[in-house]
Amino acid sequence: MRKYLLPLLFIFLFVIESTFALMVAPTEMFANERWLIPHFLLGAIMLLVIFGSRKLGLLYAFIFGLLFDIVYTEIIGINLFLFPVVTYIVYQLMKILQNNLIVTTIITLFGVALMELGSYGVNYIISITTMGFSDFIFMRFIPTLILNLIFIVIVIFPLKKYFERYVERLSL
Amino acid sequence: MPQFFLNKRLIILLVSIIILVSLIGFSLRERDSVTWPEQFLKDMTGWVQNIVAGPTQYIAGFFENVQDLQNTYEENKELKSRLDKLAFLEAEVQLLEKDNAELREILEKEDSLTDYEPIQATVIGRNPLRWEEKLTINKGTRDGIEANMAVITANGLIGKVKSAQTFTSTIQLVSSKDPTNRISAVVQDGEKKEETFGLIEGYDEKTKRLLMTKIPYDAKVEKGQMVVTSGYGGVFPKGLPIGKVVEVTPAEYGLTQTAYIEPNADLYDIQHVMVTKLNSINPEIQEELEELNEEEES
Repeated sequence: MRKYLLPLLFIFLFVIESTFALMVAPTEMFANERWLIPHFLLGAIMLLVIFGSRKLGLLYAFIFGLLFDIVYTEIIGINLFLFPVVTYIVYQLMKILQNNLIVTTIITLFGVALMELGSYGVNYIISITTMGFSDFIFMRFIPTLILNLIFIVIVIFPLKKYFERYVERLSL
Repeated sequence: MPQFFLNKRLIILLVSIIILVSLIGFSLRERDSVTWPEQFLKDMTGWVQNIVAGPTQYIAGFFENVQDLQNTYEENKELKSRLDKLAFLEAEVQLLEKDNAELREILEKEDSLTDYEPIQATVIGRNPLRWEEKLTINKGTRDGIEANMAVITANGLIGKVKSAQTFTSTIQLVSSKDPTNRISAVVQDGEKKEETFGLIEGYDEKTKRLLMTKIPYDAKVEKGQMVVTSGYGGVFPKGLPIGKVVEVTPAEYGLTQTAYIEPNADLYDIQHVMVTKLNSINPEIQEELEELNEEEES
């Protein structure tokens, strides 16, 4: 049973993102429209690659990137590419940086920022969106970073403990 | 990352970019239906989404109820004033319906483009990235839903069915900026009984308005006029309300006009939708089809 808890956790995060998007509509804040985009799944995958193992993290990034494309965006390729690349960059950065909770939070947030910028770029090129860059930054990018920072701060400690124990048990 | 751009990794990166581009190209072309592994994965996710959406909607509903209680007095007052008018309207509608049925009988025309059968569905998910506005609903081909059907709420049109699986379907909202997302629409002039045709394509996030393009340059479209579906696309019923005209400007080269439309339906807070199943197809298209069949036979 304990073995299946990790996939179940990620499937739950995967689904909860769409429910979050359904419940939380873009709201008026500070005289402008703010979009809150959840990146809970990617956040957890980045924490897995930092605290858990590299192999497992990249595997999950790949599988859930593909699942994300098939189920939500219906354009296969964007997240399938971005999830593993962002996870890999975060992993490489953490290898040369100190491994403490504050640095990890900042780097994970950096990963979310990379993901947002990457997906904006690709969607702009294939003209799915026509949003201007400054609109993107103020309406979408900054509120999204704040939302995901709150999420990461809440889950980082329990997930660190859980992933470290999980990997320990795997190697035994 | 000192060894990031070693040969092997560079090659992996380049190959994956090539795969990425070809995959995007593959999924961007117009597809009639999604492949069966995609359908299976979507249905499985829909099943989990159903489980999660139930309790969350219950909790959200509770908070909404508390908020509603605060406005009850004001609302009650307004509703009572509307109730007085309702009795008259009901009587009038009944009369008109009877009239309509009789006239149709005289003309021997049974189906019309306005007839449709609504299929009730609940929204269980939404594309979290929001680049393309897409919803997932809990009804699929098993309940009679097919691709390209119009989707409405009580207030008006919100989008169309992009793809239908066995148990769930994906809806593309009118606000989605896919270049292939177009709806044939009509501006109604109440007094002169004139109709002006155009296409709904595109959406402005900042002002939350839909763009209606290809309106003839000499058409007189004014602020406040109603916009409804035309029914000439063949799959959408006629007369579904879309919104109201807010602003009219000449288009880029001055050959056509563009109208900005405020949608009737709330495109963000959507919980229950209706999928419209058309009872008949456009008579003109039907005639053409029959002619084609005859030609083939002879």
